[in-house]
Amino acid sequence: MTVYTERTKGHPFADFLGEHAQVLSIAFFFLVCIVFFSVMTTTFFSVGNVLNIVRQAAPILVVAIAMTLVILTGGIDLSVGSMVALINAIAAIVLALGVPWPLVIVAMLVLGGVIGLMQGWFVSYQGIPAFIVTLAGLSILRGFALYLTQGYSIPIRDVPGFFFIGRGELFGMPFPAILGILVAIAGFVVISVTKYGRQVVAVGSNLEAARRVGMPAKWIVASVYMVSGFACALAAILISARLGSGSSNAAVGFELQVIAAVVLGGTSLMGGRGTMIGTVLGTLTIAVIGNGLILMHISPFFTQIVTGAIILLAIWLNTRIFTTNFRFGGKKRN
Amino acid sequence: MIDDQQPLTAVGGTGDPSDPRSTGMAAATTPAVSLRGIRKTFGSHEALRGVDLDLYPGECLGLVGDNAAGKSTLSKIISGTHIPDEGTITLNGKTVRFSGPAEARRGSIEMVFQDLSLCDHIDVVGNLFLGRELTKGPFLDRKRMIEEARKMLDSLEIRIPRLTAKVEKLSGGQRQAIAIARAASFQPKVLIMDEPTSALAVAEVEAVLSLINRVKARGVAVVLITHRLQDLFRVCDRIAVMYEGTKVAERNIAETDLEDLVKLIVGEERH
Ligand SMILES: Nc1ncnc2c1ncn2[C@@H]1O[C@H](COP(=O)(O)OP(=O)(O)O)[C@@H](O)[C@H]1O
Ligand SMILES: [Mg+2]
Repeated sequence: MTVYTERTKGHPFADFLGEHAQVLSIAFFFLVCIVFFSVMTTTFFSVGNVLNIVRQAAPILVVAIAMTLVILTGGIDLSVGSMVALINAIAAIVLALGVPWPLVIVAMLVLGGVIGLMQGWFVSYQGIPAFIVTLAGLSILRGFALYLTQGYSIPIRDVPGFFFIGRGELFGMPFPAILGILVAIAGFVVISVTKYGRQVVAVGSNLEAARRVGMPAKWIVASVYMVSGFACALAAILISARLGSGSSNAAVGFELQVIAAVVLGGTSLMGGRGTMIGTVLGTLTIAVIGNGLILMHISPFFTQIVTGAIILLAIWLNTRIFTTNFRFGGKKRN
Repeated sequence: MIDDQQPLTAVGGTGDPSDPRSTGMAAATTPAVSLRGIRKTFGSHEALRGVDLDLYPGECLGLVGDNAAGKSTLSKIISGTHIPDEGTITLNGKTVRFSGPAEARRGSIEMVFQDLSLCDHIDVVGNLFLGRELTKGPFLDRKRMIEEARKMLDSLEIRIPRLTAKVEKLSGGQRQAIAIARAASFQPKVLIMDEPTSALAVAEVEAVLSLINRVKARGVAVVLITHRLQDLFRVCDRIAVMYEGTKVAERNIAETDLEDLVKLIVGEERH
């Protein structure tokens, strides 16, 4: 009788390391960054600065959580920066017309979801590569934002309730940070213990298999772009509430930061593999590097170079080192 | 060029299985599935040119033939992936017309593909319950799925120690066993396997073959497509040979041997 056993029964600790290699490595990198900037500057490791980092990272975090879902399905959403700019501009315009701010928030969230779903429809039901659809979206949405504002920044006045979302504090925490944390927790729960999260991973891991077992594969693929649009709307509200204005030039290069955060967090661009904890750590790392370089009085332009280099490095590690057989140290399994 | 040649065994017209069955395995004499005069053309290419086939409960039918003989096409017609241009499919005595794989599954027909049925990044439990997750509201009911998965695998004597291991960490044999266990857990009447062992190591093939025997013992009509002829003698009760889109022979396993099969497959006996 032939019996099935695991190839080798590894030590549980080795299994743990193997399965969480990517999260552990980004966590390590994050700590290295913190230690580095704490040593190099006197101001980095202060309560004020940390809160500042978290506040600034919140919009990226919110969208990066949604982007993780998109990339898990094997897709990408390049339009997030333009989407944030458009909704940011529309929110300012509508608020200037005197529409009550809670209504504006709901309307913007719905708008973001609808625009995202339109892109998702092209990707999923029409089979156009996500890269192309959202690249077109990047151009179209930014174009609409420019057209609506004619390139001017539109001020938002006298809506303290709205401003609280971007500037307020609750229990000593910036409100955007609280929102970001809540979104991250929601993302974590969705991906690890819900049926929807399982479907997202399944579709990204093996679309054909997911279809064969009767999953609504097309709808699942389309839906992640809706979630992304929704998250962009939330980020747009955070940004306009903090800056007190709406501008078509908001969130330039935002998509790059978001994708860098997700990829740095170990999510595979091929789909199927990724974690929310990785994305949170990736986002914080990007934010810390940006902040730390400024505190070190290094040219802000340098941040862009570093962000780009990090993307390249992360993808390189992702494809070359963290393959299926990767293990931390130790001998090879046979 | 072979159109004018007569196939060895009479396959057209009569609709009777050419040989009296002597498997002794199942008493059932009504086929679970009957195919009559199945034709399928892709463009101008005749993939199937009138095939008759019966599948009986508790019996394993080996489907062999050279590359492009039409084995996969025939199996896809049974599993609803392709719709035949002509011919009838009878399921438990009723003529059916599948509009797609979903409908075939509802008719209790399952198919295991070589390597297309698992999600690498999902654990063993998740794959066994793929597409029919047990839930509490929107949440996965992990505890219950693990219990059920354990039962599912135990009943087929498949040993996988860690059900929460990602499938990508498993060997080819274990992966194929999971795919078969999942198909079997739908309580199918017919289970079709298209080259389930072609990518496996020797020991793994053994395990999959004994797994096929256990599935068969449950009264499932199994169709096994394989190029490994020696495997057929381990699990099959009957063998159908295909040649250029027709069924040229059907043999009870006791009445044939390797040499005979090879001749039938390459078409030598016709000279
Ligand atoms: N979807 C398809 N479109 C066009 N031709 C096909 C398709 N599927 C199979 N064929 C053709 O039908 C013939 C039989 O193929 P197949 O059933 O896959 O053979 P086998 O599985 O016995 O090797 C081959 O010549 C193949 O090229
Ligand atoms: Mg084939």
